[in-house]
Amino acid sequence: MHELGVIIEVVKYVEDFAKKNKLTKIDTLVLQIGELSAMIPRYIEACYPAAVDGTMLQDTKLKIEILPANAICKECSNVFNVIQNDKVCPNCKSEVWELLCGKEFMIKEIVAY
Amino acid sequence: MNTYKIIEIKESVFSNNDRQADLLREELKNKKTFLLNLMSSPGSGKTTTVLRTIEALKDEMKIGVMEADIDSDVDASLVAKTGAKVIQLHTGGMCHLDADMTKQGIDALEADGLDLVILENVGNLVCPAEFDTGSSKNAMILSVPEGDDKPLKYPLMFSVVDVLLINKIDAMCIFDFDIEKVKERVKKLNPNIKVIPISAKTGEGFDEWIDWLKKEVKAWKE
Ligand SMILES: Nc1nc2c(ncn2[C@@H]2O[C@H](COP(=O)(O)OP(=O)(O)OP(=O)(O)O)[C@@H](O)[C@H]2O)c(=O)[nH]1
Ligand SMILES: [Mg+2]
Ligand SMILES: [Zn+2]
Ligand SMILES: [Zn+2]
Repeated sequence: MHELGVIIEVVKYVEDFAKKNKLTKIDTLVLQIGELSAMIPRYIEACYPAAVDGTMLQDTKLKIEILPANAICKECSNVFNVIQNDKVCPNCKSEVWELLCGKEFMIKEIVAY
Repeated sequence: MNTYKIIEIKESVFSNNDRQADLLREELKNKKTFLLNLMSSPGSGKTTTVLRTIEALKDEMKIGVMEADIDSDVDASLVAKTGAKVIQLHTGGMCHLDADMTKQGIDALEADGLDLVILENVGNLVCPAEFDTGSSKNAMILSVPEGDDKPLKYPLMFSVVDVLLINKIDAMCIFDFDIEKVKERVKKLNPNIKVIPISAKTGEGFDEWIDWLKKEVKAWKE
């Protein structure tokens, strides 16, 4: 499970960001995770308490937004969800498409003061 | 009264790693040290390949090795016997290395003056492909017993490597493994990939592999 190492990096980044911007308390951390990202939201949630323990984010709530794995069909320009449609365009059955989003792993925003 | 505010960050976590990787690559470029990131499944023959590669090059290059076994120093002590400089990276159970851990390894190795550093990444075909380590080039070993369908199952790994070594070709007669099929599958994912069949046991194919590596090390120093 590699989520712990990655989330520790995230916590470091946010702590740095908070220091630079003179924030005293972070209420919520919002992450965006693509459906095709190598990060699994369930695991992120599981290791989050360990990652924030003893840091400035100790009491910070975690919110995760899932971004869909959407692609555009190269044949008919239809936009569809790759996972739900088994990697085939539901409109024209083409397997040639380009991923628009779904691999992200982003720190979207923080709620702080 | 609500004094909370929402502060947008919009920072890709991987781009943070990518930046650290670029910094490390630049540092290594200045040091004229070539870093090879070697990835594969467990047991595909990384350590055996590293040992034979050191044997072939040790008279003309100063070589260092970073071993990233999860919880042992078995491989590190084998490599140390060759006389190459070696360190064990403490990955703390991690399934991949990121640029920051690689940088710590390079510092601990005191890589100044080394021509070539080989990083034996954690044995795993999934997430090491997602994390740029700061290496000059990426190599992957696929061994014959693993089967020729691996490019279909782990496409990302095959698309990020510069060279693919197909190892254990001495065992080809026991397994039905189709090298041409593998080549066809990986070229579809990665048209520029170099595929070299080898046997780390017999040394077959090593001339081509060593040639490739020498050329890349030389190009890196220019
Ligand atoms: N027949 C044959 N066996 C090989 C070859 N290369 C490695 N082996 C054997 O495969 C086994 C694993 O080799 P290692 O070099 O330890 O593989 P590794 O990838 O470093 O393994 P881990 O570090 O444990 O993931 C050993 O028993 C080797 O002797 C080869 O070319 N042919
Ligand atoms: Mg090994
Ligand atoms: Zn991992
Ligand atoms: Zn279509």
